[in-house]
Amino acid sequence: MIVPVENEIELKNVTKAYGSLMAVKDVSFTVPRGMVFGLLGPNGAGKTTLVNMLTTLLKPTSGSAFVGGHDVVRAAARVRSLIGVVLQENNLDRYLTARENLIFHAKMHGMPPSTYHPRIDDLLSLMGLTERQKDFPNKFSVGMQRRLVVARALVHDPRILFLDEPTTGLDPQAKRMIWDYFLSLKGKRTIFLTTHNMEEADFLCDQITIIDHGSPVASGTASQLKEMAESSWFYEIEVDGRSDEYLRAFQRLPFIESASLEDGMIRVCLKKEGSLGSLVEQIDLRDLRRINSRKPSLEDVFLKLTGRRLRQ
Amino acid sequence: MMRGAICIWQRDMLVLRRNLFAEATTVLAFPLTFFLTFGLGLKGYIQEVEGVSYAIFVVPGLISMTAVLAAFDDSAWGMWFHRIVQKTIEEYRVNPITVFDIIIGKIISGFTSGFLKGLVVGLALLFLTGFQFKLLFLLSYLLYIFLGCIIFSCLGSLCGTLIDKPENLGRIEAVVVMPIIFLAGLFFPLSAYPDSILPYIKSIPTTALFDGSRIALLSGKMDVFYLLQLSISAVISFFLAVRMFEKKMHG
Ligand SMILES: Nc1ncnc2c1ncn2[C@@H]1O[C@H](COP(=O)(O)OP(=O)(O)OP(=O)(O)O)[C@@H](O)[C@H]1O
Ligand SMILES: [Mg+2]
Repeated sequence: MIVPVENEIELKNVTKAYGSLMAVKDVSFTVPRGMVFGLLGPNGAGKTTLVNMLTTLLKPTSGSAFVGGHDVVRAAARVRSLIGVVLQENNLDRYLTARENLIFHAKMHGMPPSTYHPRIDDLLSLMGLTERQKDFPNKFSVGMQRRLVVARALVHDPRILFLDEPTTGLDPQAKRMIWDYFLSLKGKRTIFLTTHNMEEADFLCDQITIIDHGSPVASGTASQLKEMAESSWFYEIEVDGRSDEYLRAFQRLPFIESASLEDGMIRVCLKKEGSLGSLVEQIDLRDLRRINSRKPSLEDVFLKLTGRRLRQ
Repeated sequence: MMRGAICIWQRDMLVLRRNLFAEATTVLAFPLTFFLTFGLGLKGYIQEVEGVSYAIFVVPGLISMTAVLAAFDDSAWGMWFHRIVQKTIEEYRVNPITVFDIIIGKIISGFTSGFLKGLVVGLALLFLTGFQFKLLFLLSYLLYIFLGCIIFSCLGSLCGTLIDKPENLGRIEAVVVMPIIFLAGLFFPLSAYPDSILPYIKSIPTTALFDGSRIALLSGKMDVFYLLQLSISAVISFFLAVRMFEKKMHG
């Protein structure tokens, strides 16, 4: 019998220490059933550590966590029967073919062949791997391996999905296809995903929590988070050459919250309105191509909150 | 319960089957070379040992050695590879099976692989020596191989669990495994040891295995003390392997 629970995932003061290093510090939050929850954070923020605790791979140093209403430490086996997991690394078995990898997984979940064969056919075709199902994964490109890992997590149609950077290494087309599939699960399955990809978080997640140094620094919907940044002023400046020099100069200015270079444009965030004039004074007008003001993106929110950029 | 262990064992057997020819060739190379050079080539120079020709004398040891070394290697490198290289152990662990399932599956796989490889070498050597061994003796000999494969598969799993660096795994083989096998009177009778050293040699479980199994195959005698020693070693190494794996996994 499945005990009806409001919250599929619940963390209460979860902490994980590696010796003296606190990878996750006193984290509490809940994820309601049917929601796509996104965990955003820079490298080393503690995302993977959190996923590993929720998927029963790691024991929290203190605090407690529940998945599907079951304690991840005391009822780990129950938890594992409910979840599908994509870990950060592509942990495929290179001595089994793509299809055998999926069959092995199905057997571990006690599925009978009459159920898993059609399901595997569907997933292979969804991931565009039907033609390559008899090949060994070490002959696959990184993106194909990733797709196979995602397919494997879906074989037993889990109630709760944990995805640690599920689309890294995928081309835009494959990414889009997988996003659409996850969207189709919305409401029916609960998805917990970590990502560096702002577009992914924006596109998929109902709720986003940003963590840094093991603790949450903000959470809300994508638009709520963007509103948080609205009190800042964002501009894009394009200059003729010397972008790096200008970037370094800007970064030293006291009224600049942050400055970064992206696709040849210098993106700045000012601390207060009215300092744009002072900023422009720093630029040799012969170098200036254009200045745009722009709406804050999740990336800006992130930069503002953590002072760091996401790896992308 | 045990579904996970069976799945893992089936997976390992599928992989073993796929490489059957390569595996068989590899496993036959050393014992056959040894048998041909020492057993036959030097036959005229080595006198009878304990009442039999040297060629016959070394056969039981060659088979036992192949079996237990294969059990050790497959378990140790298998565990290491799945844990460190492929990280498939992590994948196993997010499925609804237990850590106990995983280690049991791996131990049984190593055992099966060692036992089968022992059989392959055994058949080849028995053929070369013209099947001079009695069937009943062969059965008691298999009991030793059985226990030896369990012990070495457990020890292999233990090493593959505890050791992260491949070079260290290689070192354990060179510094511990090979010496305890070669010291155990594999290629010469224990009576060759001076009396002062013999008690130490006899306390190594591999002596129980190699000396015991040879006696069993050549004369059909079962040494109760040896069998007891092996059974206790099997139980201890099993618990060690399981305990250490669980400890490693649960952090
Ligand atoms: N096994 C370990 N032993 C010691 N420290 C660890 C271990 N695993 C992770 N850490 C540390 O814990 C912190 C959080 O790491 P974690 O892998 O959870 O970060 P992450 O947010 O997933 O980063 P990334 O975006 O790079 O995947 C890091 O400082 C890392 O060095
Ligand atoms: Mg990570």
